[in-house]
Amino acid sequence: MRIGVGGPVGSGKSSLIAALCGALAGEARLGVVTNDIYTTEDAEFLRSTGVLPEERITAVQTGGCPHTAIRDDISANLEAVEELEAATGPLDLVFVESGGDNLTAIFSPALADVQIFVIDVAGGDDIPRKGGPGIARADLLVINKTDLAPYVGADDAKMVREASERRGSLPVAPTSLRTEGADQVAGWVRAQLAAFRAHGHLHSSMEGVPDHHHDHDHVH
Amino acid sequence: MDPLTLLLADSRFPSGSYAHSLGLEQAVNDGLRDVPAFIRARQRHVASADARFAVEARRGNVLEDEWYARTPSPVLRESAQRLGSQLLRSAAKIWDVPVARMPRPLALGVVAAAAGVSDEDTALLALYDDAATVASAALKLLPLDPAVTARWLADLAPDLARVAQAIAHDDGPLPSPAAVAIELSAPIHLEQRERLFAS
Ligand SMILES: Nc1nc2c(ncn2[C@@H]2O[C@H](COP(=O)(O)OP(=O)(O)OP(=O)(O)O)[C@@H](O)[C@H]2O)c(=O)[nH]1
Ligand SMILES: [Mg+2]
Repeated sequence: MRIGVGGPVGSGKSSLIAALCGALAGEARLGVVTNDIYTTEDAEFLRSTGVLPEERITAVQTGGCPHTAIRDDISANLEAVEELEAATGPLDLVFVESGGDNLTAIFSPALADVQIFVIDVAGGDDIPRKGGPGIARADLLVINKTDLAPYVGADDAKMVREASERRGSLPVAPTSLRTEGADQVAGWVRAQLAAFRAHGHLHSSMEGVPDHHHDHDHVH
Repeated sequence: MDPLTLLLADSRFPSGSYAHSLGLEQAVNDGLRDVPAFIRARQRHVASADARFAVEARRGNVLEDEWYARTPSPVLRESAQRLGSQLLRSAAKIWDVPVARMPRPLALGVVAAAAGVSDEDTALLALYDDAATVASAALKLLPLDPAVTARWLADLAPDLARVAQAIAHDDGPLPSPAAVAIELSAPIHLEQRERLFAS
């Protein structure tokens, strides 16, 4: 099973993957593919956390086009996943981290069985209202860095509320990866993995979403 | 004009080349600013031979050993194989082609055969792909008006057409050009900490 982890620059994607690998390493064979914009920083950060053996983490170069690599031309990522498995043996779960990008970047369903979109309170609490396919339809929306809300004048409860209004029944998980970890998200991943094992596939909420889905409806 | 040739020439066809500068990034690191000259040098020393190999593969002669003999750098072999398998990966969803690791020009020939693209168009595709990949990488490496990079390609058009036609009708020995600077700078590029492109 492959989980895409996308979202704006610095929202906490790598931190989330590190926390999830820490939580799940005993239960599933894990791998990570990062899509770096300019350096191999993400892969290096994840290797440095020691949550996974180094050979389980690999980086794809994206020619400055992180959204192309996860959506329009996924060949390099598919190849990276295959090479990871060729090097380490079969994997139960591969996280694919997109290079930090704008709000419209989403994963092709051919690359990610399900996707997590990570935003943070410091990016502005109007982000959920601004929407975009990741916020509106990702299988899980994580609103990270709630510990910073008082310092950046963000209303995290309002962010969760507005995101939930937009997302209907799809889940929203507020997290503070720095102070609390990712237990709730790990639980969600476990449930996805169990469903995937039972059915051999998942019905992602992203399926059928057209590319460049610009949704500018505002909640008044 | 064959619509399938257009499809294969279209940068929106998913074949991995958006992540490659074909040596331009390292050349720019080393001070190069005359990108059209770089494109022309690649046409003479790399792309024209690749186009011949693509045409041979299109005719069923997949000359891997001969191609490797002309590409000593393991770094360049590796990136060409990656680009080749990425092209085949997408093409296999459309035509009956294997998903194999082979250098891009050979993969292009295999795909062209399956798609029924002519020898001349196959050569043109190989030449154009090389030039257009460098031109679009230039936009991310140097401050440039995108219309200017399109103009470089337009200026190259008569040469592309002439060379493609000559290659499609060439039954002589395989060309053996050498692009030593490109061979030598490929591993240096790979070691750069900050780089946008895979090659
Ligand atoms: N205060 C606080 N900082 C956090 C939290 N989660 C992550 N960070 C910090 O935010 C910064 C960016 O985190 P990353 O996990 O690298 O974010 P990313 O989304 O992977 O970033 P890019 O890959 O560069 O787009 C790091 O300095 C983290 O330590 C959080 O919950 N609270
Ligand atoms: Mg990251």
